[in-house]
Order: sequence, then C-alpha cells, then structure tokens
Amino acid sequence: MFRRCVGFRREIKRVIQLRTLSSDVSYDKRWPGWQVVVGLEVHAQLKSRAKLFSNSWTSTYDEVPNSHVAPFDAAFPGTLPKLNANCVDLALRAAFALDSNPQRRSSFDRKHYFYSDLPSGYQITQYYAPISKGGSIYLPKSQRTVRINQIQLEQDTAKTTFIPRAQSSTVDLNRAGSALIEIVSEPDMRSPEEAGEYIRALQLLLRSVAASDCNMEEGSFRCDANVSVCPKEAGDDVSNFGTRCEIKNLNSVKFMMIAITAEVMRHINIISNGGKVSQETRGFDEHTADTYLLRSKEDAPDYRYMPDPNLPPLILHDSYIMSVREGMPELPDATRSRLLSRGLSERDVEFLISVDGGREVGFDGKLGRGGAIAFFDLVSEGRDAKSAFNWITHDLYGLLVVRSMTFKENPISVNQMRDLLDLLERDQVTAPSAKILLKHIVDSRSLEKPKVLAQKLGLMALKENAGQLEEMCRAAIDALPEEAAVVRAGNERVLNKLVGHVMRSSRGRANATAVHKKLREMLQQ
Amino acid sequence: LSGRSVAVKDTICTKDMKTTCSSAMLKEFQSPFDATVVSILRQQDAMLIGKTNCDEFGMGSHNLHSVHGPVVNPHVPPLTSVASGKRSAGGSSGGSAAAVAAGLCYAALSTDTGGSTRLPAAYCGVAGFKPSYGLISRWGVVSFADSLDCVGILARHSSEVKNVFGKHATAHPLQPDVLNLYDPKDPTSAPTEVRNAAKQDSMSFRDAVRNRQRLDGVRIGIPEEYFPKELEPSSLTTFKGLVQRLRTSGAQVSRVSLPNTRYALSAYYVIASAEASSNLARYTGVHYGTRVPASHSVDKKKTSNVYSHTRSRGFGHEVQKRILLGTYALSADAFDNYFLQAQQIRKLVRDDFERVLRHPSALSSPSKDATLRRSGVDFILYPTAIGSAPSLDEAKNMSELEVYLQDVLTVPTSLAGLPTLSVPIGLGDDGWPLGASLTGQWGHDESVLELGDIVERVSRESAL
Repeated sequence: MFRRCVGFRREIKRVIQLRTLSSDVSYDKRWPGWQVVVGLEVHAQLKSRAKLFSNSWTSTYDEVPNSHVAPFDAAFPGTLPKLNANCVDLALRAAFALDSNPQRRSSFDRKHYFYSDLPSGYQITQYYAPISKGGSIYLPKSQRTVRINQIQLEQDTAKTTFIPRAQSSTVDLNRAGSALIEIVSEPDMRSPEEAGEYIRALQLLLRSVAASDCNMEEGSFRCDANVSVCPKEAGDDVSNFGTRCEIKNLNSVKFMMIAITAEVMRHINIISNGGKVSQETRGFDEHTADTYLLRSKEDAPDYRYMPDPNLPPLILHDSYIMSVREGMPELPDATRSRLLSRGLSERDVEFLISVDGGREVGFDGKLGRGGAIAFFDLVSEGRDAKSAFNWITHDLYGLLVVRSMTFKENPISVNQMRDLLDLLERDQVTAPSAKILLKHIVDSRSLEKPKVLAQKLGLMALKENAGQLEEMCRAAIDALPEEAAVVRAGNERVLNKLVGHVMRSSRGRANATAVHKKLREMLQQ
Repeated sequence: LSGRSVAVKDTICTKDMKTTCSSAMLKEFQSPFDATVVSILRQQDAMLIGKTNCDEFGMGSHNLHSVHGPVVNPHVPPLTSVASGKRSAGGSSGGSAAAVAAGLCYAALSTDTGGSTRLPAAYCGVAGFKPSYGLISRWGVVSFADSLDCVGILARHSSEVKNVFGKHATAHPLQPDVLNLYDPKDPTSAPTEVRNAAKQDSMSFRDAVRNRQRLDGVRIGIPEEYFPKELEPSSLTTFKGLVQRLRTSGAQVSRVSLPNTRYALSAYYVIASAEASSNLARYTGVHYGTRVPASHSVDKKKTSNVYSHTRSRGFGHEVQKRILLGTYALSADAFDNYFLQAQQIRKLVRDDFERVLRHPSALSSPSKDATLRRSGVDFILYPTAIGSAPSLDEAKNMSELEVYLQDVLTVPTSLAGLPTLSVPIGLGDDGWPLGASLTGQWGHDESVLELGDIVERVSRESAL
C-alpha cells in the first residue's frame, strides 16, 4: 500500500512536471494534474397549458395536490394517450434555440419500471428516435462550446413525498404526465463552474423562446450530472475518460457545483489510493455537502423499452418545422445584434437582457408580460434609442428597484412612457420635472397621460419667451449679489450657483440651458 | 337501435356498472367514465342490460379463466346427437356470445385481440364480427394488447351486427354510422379520409350484391394453409358444403396461399404477451382496484416488494403466465430474438394478405389510383375454429399448447388488422355449431357484412 502510494505520488509529480513543461497554463489548482469531465442531463418542464398526452392542465408547484389529474394521468383502465401539438412546437423551439436538428421522424417508447410516482408502470419517452439531435451552446465566460447530444420529449412523473412520521409516502399526481424535454449534453464541460454557466445559459435560451420557466426552485428545471476524472493528458479522447458516476436530483446551480466538486474529490481520492471508481448512481446530501450511493451498476434496472403501440411515429413536414422557426420569439443572439444596431453599447445590451430575464414565460409559447426588451422596443420606436434606454433602465428601473419591484410589476404603460419622452424632446418638461412625473406615476399608478399630469402638478416647463424667466433671473441676481458681482468680473463658473437658484425657485421647470444663457446675457450687460 | 337490448363485455368501461375484467384485481372497480362505444349506444337509446363474463383481461380461448366462474355454452344440441354435457362458450368473449345465443339480448359488445369474438361466435352459433383495426373507438376499452385490440360485435345474424356497426338497413344514407365512427380521444382511430377512401373502393361490390343477392363476379379465396391436421373432419365437411353452395350462387372460388401463416401464432403470442405485460403494469392497487397490503416484515423501500402482494393475489394464473412471458420477451436479452422477430413476421403476414387481395389497402397506398390486381380475390373464406366447442372438462384438461392452437385460424387477420366476420354455417356431426370466417381488405367492413348476410342465407337454405 505504501509502495503504491509512493509510486502514485511519483506519478503525480511527473505529471505536474510535465504540465509545467508544457505551455498549458489553465490548470485547476484544486486538482492539479487531473481533468474533470462533466456531462449534464437536464429535464425542463415545457410551458404548455395542457399536459403531454392528456387534457388536464400543467400545474404550478404550489397547487392543491391531485387537483389537475385526468383519468389518463392516473393510468385508469381504458384510457389512451393523445399527443398535445403545443408540446411539439415548444420542443422544436427549444431545438432551434440550441442549434439542434429537428428530426423529420421521431417516435415514442415505453420505459418500464415500478415506482409509486409512475401510475402506469411505464413512462412514455423517446428512446429509439428523439425529436432532435445535435446542437451546441457557447459559454462566453468559460470560452467553451458544449455540444448537445439530443433532445427528447417525455412524460414527467408524479411527486412523492416521504413522511417520516407516518413511515409512508404521499403521491401527488398533478405533475404526472406533464410534458418534459430532456436535454442531454456531451461530456464537454471541464469544471463545476462551466457546468454552472451551461445551466444558466440553457435557462436563458429556453426562457427566451418561451419553451419553459426553467425555474429550479419550483421544479420546472431539474438536472443530473455525470462526473468522471482522468489524467490531464487524456485530452478530449473519450476512450481515455475515467468511469463516470451520475449524481441525480440537484436542486440548484450552487448545489450542483458543490456536488460536482465533492464527486471529483471522491474519485481522485479513490484513484490516489489505488482503487477503481465503480459506475454508480448517486444522490447529493445538501447537509453534508457530499454524494451518497443510490444504486450500483449491478442494480441498474432493465427498462424493457418497447415502442408505444398507441402512438404513431411523429412525422414533421419541412413546412411545419419552418413555421415554428418563423413564429418563435427572438433568440438572445438575434436580440443582441438588433439592439446593438440601434446604437446601444454592449454593456447596455447585456443589462437590458438581464433585466428582461425576469419576464414571465407565457403558456403555449405566447410571450409573457413584463419584458423589458419588448417595452424598450415599443417605447423607442421611431425615436432616439439611447435616450429611451437611459430613461427606462436608469430612471424607471431605478425607481422599481428601490421599491423592490421587478420589471414585471412596472405600472407605466408604453404610451405613457412615449408621451413622457415626447414632452422631454419638445422641451415641454425639463429632465428634473420628468423624473418627478415618473415617480408620481409609479407611486400613484395613475393611468393619465403625462401631459395632463404635468399640467395638473404644475410641472410644465417655463416658456423661454415668457417674462417669467427674466423675472426669476432678476430675482436670483438680486438674491445673490456677491456671486453676481463675481460673474460680472469674469468668473463664469459661479454662474451655476445663480442657475441653481433659478432652478430651485422654478421647481425645476426652467430650462437650465436657457437660464444659464439668460443670466449670462443679463450679467454681461 | 332505440329500445334494443345490448350486453357489454366486462372489459369495456361503463359508468353505472362495475367493470371487473373478470379479475380479482378489479372486482369492485367502477370506472368514472363510459367507453365511447357505450356512450354511442346510450345516445342511440339502446338498453344496456348488463356486463358479460369473459376470460380475465381478455386472455383465454375458453372463458374458463374468470373470477366469476366459467361460461357455459347455451346451445342445446338436437336430441339425436351424442350427449356431451356442458361445453365451453369459447373465449375470451364467451359471456357476450352466450348472452346473444341464449336470446338474452339483441346484440352484445365484445373485444377481439386474437379471435376473442369470432371463436365464441362459432362455438355458440351466432355471428361475431371483428372490424378493421382502427374503425371502432377503443377509448374506455381496457387494453390487453393495443396494437391488436378491437371492439367486437355479436348478434344472431350478420344483418343485426351490421345495424350495430354501421347504418341500419332502412336508415337514411346521411345518417351517421352507429359504432363505426372516428373518435379523437383514440389515437389509433382511423381518420375520416382513410375510412372514406376504403369505403369508396368497396362500394361497387356492395351495390352489385345488395340488389341481386347472388355472388356473380365475387372472387373468394380459400387459403390452403388454414386446414391444419388438427381440423375436425366434421368441420371440414360442413365447410366444403358451404363452398359448393357459394359456387352455385355464382362466386368464383379459388385457392390462395398465405405462406407465412405457420409463423403467425407464435408471433401473435409474443407480441400480445409483451404488450399485455406493459398494459397490466398499472394494476398495483395504489390508485384504484384491489389492494393487498404487504406485511410488516417486507422491505417496503423496494416498490416491487409492495406491489407483488397485490399483483400475485389479484391476477389469475393465465394472466400471470402471460405477463411473465411478455416481460421476458421485452427484456434486453430476449428483445431482438423474440419481440423484434415477431414484429417482422407480423409484417410478412400482412404482406401475404395484401398480395392476395384484389384491392390495395387504403392505409398504404393513395386511393386515387386503386388499380385492381388481376389475380386477386375480394374475400378470403376459411373455417373459424378447428372444431366445435370442446366440453368444459376437455377444455380444462387441454395442454397449454392445445389451448393456444384454438386461435391458429383467427390470429392472422388480427395481426393484419383486417375485418373478419364469423358466420354460423350449421351444426357439425355432434350437433354443435360451426362457423366460417370471411375476411376482407382493410376498411371494407360493410362489404364483409353484406357477404356474411348472403353466406348465412345460403347456409340456412341448404339446411332446409
């Protein structure tokens, strides 16, 4: 044992030496000499109104148990599946979002096993011919392209909850039969952080095409991680990869990254001690931050996959696939180029996209409400994009954030915003006045047009040719004789104090530039 | 069908009566919905007089495997024939056939997966029809083997079967068919265009025959592979007699060959058992049906440990056997050798029929250019069973292989999904009923029923 350890240490040393000799600088300090290989299987619940094969409605996680159950979902005798076309559309959208290739022909199979969350004793999935193959996601931070193996449609299971007190489980069939897509990646990720970035990118993509809510906390997005390690020199040659273990049911990105790290260390530990990693399915204990054995390879069930005789093969014509492509919402990359072309900076665009990320996902592919980008598009139509952007993201969004409101809860309508910007453009209100108006509408939820409100609140800008302006300037000069004298003497910077005085006395309604000009005129006489 | 009494097989769901499938598993089960065929009958004001006994979950050929006990064939042989005690009514729809034969109802609904309607029809001396697969809705019909299951119709005569299936003889042409309707709830229900295409093809025959009641120009093929050595001599004689009379009525009777018939029975049992093992996985006592609790000593963490208690007590011996065989056929080791092979044989059996029939199937070719095959036949005719009904004792003592052999003549058209009608053609030497089966192309159900009418009449006339 000692000799083996020594031999292994020599091996590690040699590996480290090799690495320092090579020009590869990007090694991970946590496990020097080792390459981590991660593949992810994600189950995303499709945002369809009805379930995959029955008419009952997809439910949210907090609904009354067993309130959305059709006889088919409970596997009652004599029931038959009927494919929901909306689910096919959403799955195709997901395929396009991931640059995957929709298959003209796919089919449905039964995966058999006995468990209390599976009323019919089989899950309808797509084992032999999935709806889409291939694809990839580019991760900008990790600078890695992760390839997609396939996307398949399948039924979700019911939700079982173990009650320790009663030593029994309860079964909630609300979720049984809901539509899922399973997205299987290739083992292209090389660190827990890359896995994290992959998940976040996947969530953004699927939400942007309204395929799924992708909410891990609510259970509409679940992932399993396949982890293995091998010496760094193995590179990308699959035949050199180590034995992988699958970690199931990871509930958050944070826990997923911790679980992957723990599993990597476990593998390294085993191998360093001369052992061999056995292929296992493992769970993750959030309390101990460690993985535990669920099932060994020998206990792996034979699912007896059988083509479902009730469901004919799904044949998709090119015209149908094209119509889904054309009818779907913009993909993030298209949004980026479009917004950039309107004159926004890259930082502006990323910010807008991140604010937009909180928008609702509508059912059956309809765009949800509360999208910042849609709001921006409509407000900025036919006008200066940058100014619209600033007012929306800085002033409006700023007000919302301070009030702990999300953009979804924005009370200002597109028309009100456009009116406000019109007033500003025509100098009918000043910027300070506009900010006051904005705040007023957010707080009072007024539906009135900004112009009407401005008049009511006395916020209309002072007209330059009215005598008011000259009066206020005269009043300021009188109020600040010392500063006036300094300006007359040639120091223009002090002029701003006088401008400030006029702005205050006009309650921001005077045009600052005009005031500045007027004062200078009057003091230079 | 207003006021007509109809009995319903206990594997078809009825909201107001229990649906037990003759199984301890569903002994007290009441479905929350009606099967589509039941709804249609209710809409037509038919009187649903009750549920009929059958083999458990449709699995059996003699109606012996039932939690309610065996069905007894109600036929009373003429006094001159040998006394043989109680005989089997056939299975799995023995109850439905017996109810019709005993005059308890006008018609009965049944199911037919491998002969479950036709065999009891032949044994009880009534007409039993297995329509083309996909014509009658299976919504609410408890699945045995989805790719084979059909709703069947039993009545004393083909004309009465026709009234339950399609339009009444005196009905207005624009009145909708009765049970022969598209059902959106059934994913295997044939779409309207395909039904109409097939109907178009067979229209000329129906018009010709309806008016003249003769069979001139009608081509009937008799498959040479359908006369196994097990076929009882009396059945053969009666059948030959029928063929002679059909020739006299003008039919062109010829010999045809369906060479893959010899593999059909094995393929059928592999496919049917495999699908049954899948469809019966849901019976666990968790959501409905009988539940047998596991004892305290059982390791409840493994689900199958808990389920096995209910399933071992709830299922009868025959059902358990088929589930085990079917599970094996789907297992990773056996899948290629059994299940896949069986599917390939199924295709060969279908191709045999397609080659021999004159009209191409509306399912596989565009109906516009339905070019008739010069040497094809319109219908295929053969004995329904290898003999008359066995006695209950004989049936109970048969070896398993012998039992499965009862299906050898009915199974091929189940695999091919073709419409087949068993008509009563008289009594055998032992005084018990015999039947002959008529098979047509997919979707030509009305033609098959018309021909059945004529064959029945021809048989009756000769008996006089």
